[in-house]
Amino acid sequence: MELVVALGLIVFKVALLIAILLLLPLPLTWLERKVAGHMQQRMGPMRVGWHGLLQPVADGIKLLTKEDHIPAEADRFLFKLAPILALAPPFVVFVAVPFGESVSVLGTEITLYVSNMNVALLFVFAVIGIEVYGVIFGGWAANSKYAVLGSLRTCAQMISYEIPMGFAVIGVVMLAQSMSLLEIVRAQADVWNIVYQPVGFFVFFVAGLAESQRIPFDLAEAEGDLGAGFHTEYSGIRFAFFMVSEYAIMLLTSVLAVILFFGGWNGVLVPLPPLLWFVLKVAFFVYVFIWFRFTFPRYRYDQLMAIGWKVLLPLSMANIIITGVAFL
Amino acid sequence: MSRALDRTGIWIGWAFFADLANALALTFGYMFSRPVTMQYPDKEKWLPYSRYRGHHFLKRDDEGEIKCVACELCARICPCYCIEVIPYEDEKGNRHPAKFEIDMARCLFCGLCEDACPADAIALGQQYEFSSFSSRDLVIGRDDLLGKPGKAATGGGVVSARLNTEQDVLVETSEPQGYNWWRNIRRT
Ligand code: SF4
Ligand code: SF4
Repeated sequence: MELVVALGLIVFKVALLIAILLLLPLPLTWLERKVAGHMQQRMGPMRVGWHGLLQPVADGIKLLTKEDHIPAEADRFLFKLAPILALAPPFVVFVAVPFGESVSVLGTEITLYVSNMNVALLFVFAVIGIEVYGVIFGGWAANSKYAVLGSLRTCAQMISYEIPMGFAVIGVVMLAQSMSLLEIVRAQADVWNIVYQPVGFFVFFVAGLAESQRIPFDLAEAEGDLGAGFHTEYSGIRFAFFMVSEYAIMLLTSVLAVILFFGGWNGVLVPLPPLLWFVLKVAFFVYVFIWFRFTFPRYRYDQLMAIGWKVLLPLSMANIIITGVAFL
Repeated sequence: MSRALDRTGIWIGWAFFADLANALALTFGYMFSRPVTMQYPDKEKWLPYSRYRGHHFLKRDDEGEIKCVACELCARICPCYCIEVIPYEDEKGNRHPAKFEIDMARCLFCGLCEDACPADAIALGQQYEFSSFSSRDLVIGRDDLLGKPGKAATGGGVVSARLNTEQDVLVETSEPQGYNWWRNIRRT
């Protein structure tokens, strides 16, 4: 009996998580377009629903009813596989991400995480690495020069930025003496990691921008020079998959930034419910992502590589060494 | 000395991303400034200035007779050859156009016909909503031109409007003068 209840709870949590992650891109696209509009003194979507609130729904219907076009020269199997490969990992990663300690519903304690892995951080980085394959396969399978160029860039970009990103979080792991995200947040109950690890946060954030392929590092889909980059040939629902994946990763980077460096659900000064604190912090980072997108131009490809290898990597290594020395 | 200081200042700022922070502050400020979007046609509409060159109109003189003397100067000067005038002579011996057609599909609204006219008979008015599904409908004859609205007395404002699609696309508004659209433009 207990086993059934526990299993049911896990299934319910996973279902809820998937539902939230699938639905969240709707308000996020709306927000992105609104913020973009107002930063450019426009209004953004205004016609569908109150202040365009239903615009994402209209977009969704449009994408679902569009023709699902596969180019004649494309590798059909990989072409169909790529969007799924891009979509699945960001969802899987959230299994290891805690959203709070626990809440009591009807007298039973329900934990706000699906699993408490002791190597959660490693799991996150390992699984999110798979997402790159979606982008690479997508670009390769389409058999279009723009798509291939986009995915080649992604390849190089992902490899060069995953390394400093991985190094940047080592400082956090050293402070918390654990790789479990739950332990990391608990270790920040008094002082957030950002105080001890500003450099680590900087490297993590910049690498996170690059990992989620957002401006100023969105070379994989640079509209100006590559059409639409790796998803040039995608249409309809498959294109929507890539879009949802992009938003899920943006969300994941924000969530990780909050958990690793900004104390997770630990609040300061104002006593709010922990979950609300968490959501507020994540929302702030999502806003920062959007804000960056409509402020900065795109870096050139060689600049991207130079930043990755000549600035972020040494910085993250120095950060590890200094943290280690301070520990001793 | 001060220049050296300046330069170190710039380098320190650069190391701490002062330029990026500036850019972020600017876009953040813009986010809270008023949008300049004019919600045409169902919420707002722009009223043209009196100097605006819109749809042509033909004028009448004090007796109600058409001013045009069918000299065809406008047809000659028109860079697009879109005016066609065929004259006739009435009982009193005055020349008037029997046929006066402007092909609005070809007109580029340069206003040369207005400048060329010796009788001050043709001008470009304030109407700018005459899109059509067929370019044939854009060939406007003499009688239609006589009925077109003339120059605006005032203008330049944005008034609230309502869309009426019953008979053609019509924007209805009753306000004489709206707000100045330029007031929302940031000049920093
Ligand atoms: S406005 Fe210019 S183009 Fe139009 S009818 Fe007059 S002269 Fe021709
Ligand atoms: S409108 Fe003016 S220029 Fe043209 S034919 Fe008549 S009088 Fe001549």
